Amino acid sequence: MTAKRAGLITDSFKVVKKAKRENKRKKEAPSHPKQDAELLPLTAKDIELQELRQFDQNWQYGPCTGISRLERWERASLHGLNPPQEIKEMLRGREADPDYTYCLWSGYPL
Amino acid sequence: MFSELSHSSRQGSCSLLCRPGSEDQDPSVFDRVQPAYSPCAERFRLGERSFNRQYAHIYATRLMQMSPLLTERAQQKWGADVPIKKLCDLQMGEQCCIVGTLFKHMDLQPSILKEISEEHNLLPQPPRTKYISQSDELILEDELQRIKLEGNIDVDKFVTGSVIAIYGAEKNDGKFTVEDFCTADLPPQAPRTPISSDRFVLLVSGLGLGGSHADSMLALQLLVDMVTGQLGDQGEQSGAATISRVLLAGNLLSQTTQDKDASTKAKYLTKKTQAGTVDAVRLLDELLMQLVASVPVDVMPGQYDPTNYTLPQQPLHRCMLPLSSSYPTLQLASNPHQASIDGVRFLGTSGQNVLDIQRYSGMDSHLDILENTLRLRHLAPTAPDTLGCYPFYLKDPFILEECPHVYFSGNAPSYQSKHITGADGQDVLLVAIPEFSSTQTACLVNLRTLECEPIRFSSFSAGDDEESEMNISH
Repeated sequence: MTAKRAGLITDSFKVVKKAKRENKRKKEAPSHPKQDAELLPLTAKDIELQELRQFDQNWQYGPCTGISRLERWERASLHGLNPPQEIKEMLRGREADPDYTYCLWSGYPL
Repeated sequence: MFSELSHSSRQGSCSLLCRPGSEDQDPSVFDRVQPAYSPCAERFRLGERSFNRQYAHIYATRLMQMSPLLTERAQQKWGADVPIKKLCDLQMGEQCCIVGTLFKHMDLQPSILKEISEEHNLLPQPPRTKYISQSDELILEDELQRIKLEGNIDVDKFVTGSVIAIYGAEKNDGKFTVEDFCTADLPPQAPRTPISSDRFVLLVSGLGLGGSHADSMLALQLLVDMVTGQLGDQGEQSGAATISRVLLAGNLLSQTTQDKDASTKAKYLTKKTQAGTVDAVRLLDELLMQLVASVPVDVMPGQYDPTNYTLPQQPLHRCMLPLSSSYPTLQLASNPHQASIDGVRFLGTSGQNVLDIQRYSGMDSHLDILENTLRLRHLAPTAPDTLGCYPFYLKDPFILEECPHVYFSGNAPSYQSKHITGADGQDVLLVAIPEFSSTQTACLVNLRTLECEPIRFSSFSAGDDEESEMNISH
């Protein structure tokens, strides 16, 4: 019996798992009311960003990684694919905000 | 060479044997013809160089640019009501047309992943002259999907990266049976402005300076003397004056100047040694100075020249050529190069694109490959797959938007040229410029008639070779 117990993988990882769960619980507990507060009224920025993410995922305009959203929009416009004008309006004047300029995968390393 | 001109010189053939002209006699001076020249290679210039992007953008933008063209061609060929579909809408057994980028799956294609995979523990593959095999397969990719091709399409003739339209139907096994295909074919051509007199452009490639070809140095000096009007009698000289421009298409330096030792040897061992390119570039500078003092010269870099490796290669830096770069007649050009000389549009490369297609297809003749790239309307379809290329995202600069009148590539094993005509009356002269260091041959293109003829500088050395062979046989 003892030998079998020692052989279980879960034995060696138990500690880690427990620690994670505890961490999660700790994090989730205080953040719950906050999230709710944020979720209820979607800010104008959230709606815009959602629309921009939709634009990122539209395959017709080509891959989105490695270039800025505006560059991708310009390319699509150059090749006559008629990207939505609203996207350009949204991106105008927001060059300093990385949430707006770069695509949804920009946080991930290549 | 200059056949009509040399004929007229027969009458004054004594000009070499007569006494030097006395002072009251006018010395004969031949003014070199001055053509209208405008370089139009802006699209091959790189501004910012960012290598953060992946190559997916090139393929995406290539398909974006080419698919309207191919849709139009397909409608011309198979009727205006031919169904043009995306692969995701494809129904089995339905006859339709699909526009997409070809990918050729090749077992022999060298892959860095195969080489470094420790599991297989393979030796690096030896370099081959051809990487094609019987098991090669063609796959067509559109924006979202890919499909294997079979049927009426010659696998050996196509290379990865070509955008074509195919017509046929999908079969039960998920493969697409091709009945017919079409390429984008020749782009529209601007008409040439008629020229009244014979004018020539000299195309030279593969000077191979710094190499071991000693006899090619003599031939090279003869070439320079011929162009600058220091050879022959007055007839020859007046002929040389009709050469309005010289175009050097790459590989100015020899491959032997690229010593790999410098990167593998210890630093302290190579501290006092000089790179092999230093002397070769100095030689090039002296040679160019002789030329540019007399005639405008376009210098394109090639595979072995000291500039960036990836296409488009940027012009050589003027600092390397202190003697010749002070002349306004020296034009340091990019590779590929495009220029309009007297209304004749020249476009060409130093040969990397052709050599790469030769390696990855069944075609051998440089001229056939040149014609094929023109019909595909793409200068270098195999870039970025097997040919180094800058990661463009906005536009693929290698797509031909305008049909050239002279389409050339350098560093061919032998001289070849021919005319091809397009469906809309385009007339293109294709020239495979031979490597000068091994063939001692240059090409003269007549701007008036668009004819091309080779000039050889080494009939005597070929004779020497025969003699030495005779000696061996005795």
